[in-house]
Amino acid sequence: MSYFRNFLILALFIIPIQSTSDEKIEQSKYFVENLGKEVVEKVSNVNLTESERNVNFRNLYLNSFDNYYISRFVLGRYWKNLDSNMRKQFVKSFNDYIVATYAPKFKGWEGTFQAVDSLIENNYYNVKMNVLNKDGPTLKLIWKIYLDKNKNFKILDVNIDGVSMLVTQRAEFMSVIKNNPKGVLGLIEAMIKKTSG
Amino acid sequence: MVDLILKYNKILLILVISALISFNVKKAEAVENVNDPFENVNRNIFKFNNNLDDYFFKPVAKGWRKIPDIPRKPLTNLATTAKTPISLANAILQLNKESIGNIIGRFLINMTFGLGGLFDVASSDNFGNIAEVEEDFGQTLAVWGVPDGPYVMLPIFGPSSVRDAFGLGVDTITNPLSFGYRMNGIGLEARLSGPVVRGVSTREKYLDYLDEMKEGSLDFYATMRSLYRQKRRKDISGELESKDLSLSMLPIEEYEDEELKPDVKNIVTTMKGKDPQTKSEMTRYYNGVLPSSNYPAFNESRVNLIE
Repeated sequence: MSYFRNFLILALFIIPIQSTSDEKIEQSKYFVENLGKEVVEKVSNVNLTESERNVNFRNLYLNSFDNYYISRFVLGRYWKNLDSNMRKQFVKSFNDYIVATYAPKFKGWEGTFQAVDSLIENNYYNVKMNVLNKDGPTLKLIWKIYLDKNKNFKILDVNIDGVSMLVTQRAEFMSVIKNNPKGVLGLIEAMIKKTSG
Repeated sequence: MVDLILKYNKILLILVISALISFNVKKAEAVENVNDPFENVNRNIFKFNNNLDDYFFKPVAKGWRKIPDIPRKPLTNLATTAKTPISLANAILQLNKESIGNIIGRFLINMTFGLGGLFDVASSDNFGNIAEVEEDFGQTLAVWGVPDGPYVMLPIFGPSSVRDAFGLGVDTITNPLSFGYRMNGIGLEARLSGPVVRGVSTREKYLDYLDEMKEGSLDFYATMRSLYRQKRRKDISGELESKDLSLSMLPIEEYEDEELKPDVKNIVTTMKGKDPQTKSEMTRYYNGVLPSSNYPAFNESRVNLIE
């Protein structure tokens, strides 16, 4: 009897946890699929001016990605040596660089984000997704996302066929800093130059 | 006795702290140590390769793209099938049963139902979607425990490492097809046709991506070096992410500085297909949290109760 009662108590705990987990997995898949719809509606739209496209892309990026985490990661060990002012300068330049680099690429893009699977790994959700390009090959991606304290999903990284965009960006920035006598300031200047050019 | 324990505890504590520090340093080094002692030479070769690409390979790849699917795809499939002996030999050397089965399965299906390798029917749903597997001697050496060594940029062939460059040489010399060509007196032009078609086909596949990457990059050389390293690691170990490069090494923190918080402004949307002149009338402004606040079945209070 005691065994049965223990089993019942355990089951009562496990079932809600399982259903919460399944629900969140579905939500994580919906999150990336919805992001695809947002991109088509608010960034790819050919009727938007360049400025509108950039504003929309910036807002989608800031809403959907963990901008602070990404900024820290791509700057590696240099982040902790920066004062608050330099950090602000870097984050601003980096966001501008992301917008200037990626927003124009989506102009006229037509396709769908199709979430295939979502796996939980150390508090992260790895959402496997196919990007079905209307005119082109299907791209297979893995989004690494997590739930922030406000229960909003935030993207940390995008992995394309084993290549992490975050790790690649970090490697590039490390090289720019290493080869520039001005260090991080040189990187910021290079980003500003690229953005304005 | 107590003093002795305390003394040893201190030593133990120092050892643990030292180990932790060295572990973190190793992690940081793993991320930032690019193992590229020949960087200056490599960068010059990279420049040469880029020029060669701009003036030769890219125009050829663009031309290749314009060729109709037939004969373009059958030629590519034939060139890919020609790599089977070397891939199979390396899969055997690695004792990789999955790859061996995959390579033999693909080869048999494509050689029979795919009309001698002209059509890649093994990749179709009807034949179980057998993915293409390529194994080379560089990967075999990696499986045997040989480290990749310094990064090298090979003329024409592009990014590599000392181990992989050696592997490339071994694969070229020992390719069973090379013996067949020699025994049958087949000339160099015919022997090179497979690698050339594979090279052009691969370049065509990455035509748009590489251009975009080059355009947006601050240091294209470093970007390519990182891409190569990550891709090779994935091909060899199947790991999507090195444990040393794991994102979990950086804890998620809340914004330390209020001013660093993203300032999300309005989203502007324009109704598609409307007259651009009336665009201002059609512009809508969103000021909500996007897109994570509007999931179906998202009920924050219910989730909180369960947690």
